[in-house]
Amino acid sequence: MNKFIKGLIGLCAALLIGGGAMSMPGGEAEPESSAASYVEQSETSSWSIAESSWPASSFDLAGIPAFSGNSFVAINNNIPSFTDEELSIVSFEVYSQLDALGRCGPAYACLGQDLMPTEERDSISEVTPSGWHSVEYDGAYLYNRCHLIGYQLSAENANEQNLITGTRYLNVEGMLPFENMVADYIKETGNHVMYRVAPIFEGNSLVASGVHMEALSVEDQGEGIAFNVYCYNVQPGVVIDYATGESTLSPENSASASSEDTTAAASADPQAQAAPASQAEPVGQTYILNTNTHKFHYPSCSSVDQMNESNKQEYTGSRDSVIAQGYEPCKRCNP
Amino acid sequence: MILMVTVDDGYGMAFNQRRQSRDRAVTQRIAALSARSALWVSPYSAALFADMPEAAPQLHVDAAFLSKAAPGEFAFAENVSVRPYAPRIERVILFRWNRRYPGDLFLDLDLPGPAWKLTSAQDFTGFSHEKISMEVYDHEQIH
Repeated sequence: MNKFIKGLIGLCAALLIGGGAMSMPGGEAEPESSAASYVEQSETSSWSIAESSWPASSFDLAGIPAFSGNSFVAINNNIPSFTDEELSIVSFEVYSQLDALGRCGPAYACLGQDLMPTEERDSISEVTPSGWHSVEYDGAYLYNRCHLIGYQLSAENANEQNLITGTRYLNVEGMLPFENMVADYIKETGNHVMYRVAPIFEGNSLVASGVHMEALSVEDQGEGIAFNVYCYNVQPGVVIDYATGESTLSPENSASASSEDTTAAASADPQAQAAPASQAEPVGQTYILNTNTHKFHYPSCSSVDQMNESNKQEYTGSRDSVIAQGYEPCKRCNP
Repeated sequence: MILMVTVDDGYGMAFNQRRQSRDRAVTQRIAALSARSALWVSPYSAALFADMPEAAPQLHVDAAFLSKAAPGEFAFAENVSVRPYAPRIERVILFRWNRRYPGDLFLDLDLPGPAWKLTSAQDFTGFSHEKISMEVYDHEQIH
């Protein structure tokens, strides 16, 4: 059964289990008639909700404390807001249509083993999320194309409805640990996890201030997984203009140099954001990935010679982008 | 007491009052290692051994499990601070997930540290984790 069919069945099940209602972060339950507004997105084998039916998020950004060195903060005492009616034991995933500014909306899923990837992730460089800038500070890229529902959970590749402009810090320090925890729980138990990730934009900003992540394990009623957090879309040492995605070093770090590929600079004009992928994709260090052990190495590492050819994959990009894909540095060559 | 704990890359043990992760391969090792002794666990951890009849003979479930484990007996801690019991810990068996998870409860022993000597280390494949590392530390004074 392909993912598209599974998504359809799961969505129908969710609507049935939910009595024809679906509630969104902080929003009101959507009436039954809105079920007809789900539309097929055959290119990505996923589902999207028509913009007109998507309830506006009432997430109160003003209630979030300023970033103070922790990558996330708990919301509502870490209690997620899923209702009993929402809980599903059939996997599905739904994504919002981009809004008029080309921005992602909430992504919502019942995650299960059947949604998880069975092959390596494809390139996602063809997607240019709102506010995207290809800019480096001290040799490291500021932004990642950041999955709302991580690849290890959803097997979603270049789905523009699932990719936002997120800092390296948000991607690696903020969201990835939560995704790891959910993924490993599902693999171990075979259970399902209700999962919702909403990018939080202030006004018409093109770059999200952060993401609101909620998860609840279904079969054990939250005994295994339960969290409700806000992850900050910040990069320590860098000041970000969330309206445009432009950035500068913070005053205390201004002695360092930065560089930007202006051909990929973001604009409020959605047409202007369709920069060629080859211009936006970072070019960095070449690494050798071991697709079996999920370690990555310098090409000169002695471990590469011992690697099975079928597990060997060459990759060029930033160190953080490799880690964000779930790879760990080799302890021998310490890339 | 021989303390057994699981940690992520940041020595995290739990988040939001829940274990960060679990793996049946680790649970089986804990049962096997403690087979000739006593294994003390909290009521929370006892659920991991519910489907393991082979662990039943040595399993002792008690909210005060860290106080009750005697010298040479095993204790498996998941969501509690262990520092108050440090003077009684003669050995630590550390299982590393080799992953990063969110954490708000961390292993509060100075491990590795000058008081602890790493006596053995080995990696094994888990059921849901690609590589789990098991490290054994002996306390220099107590052991």
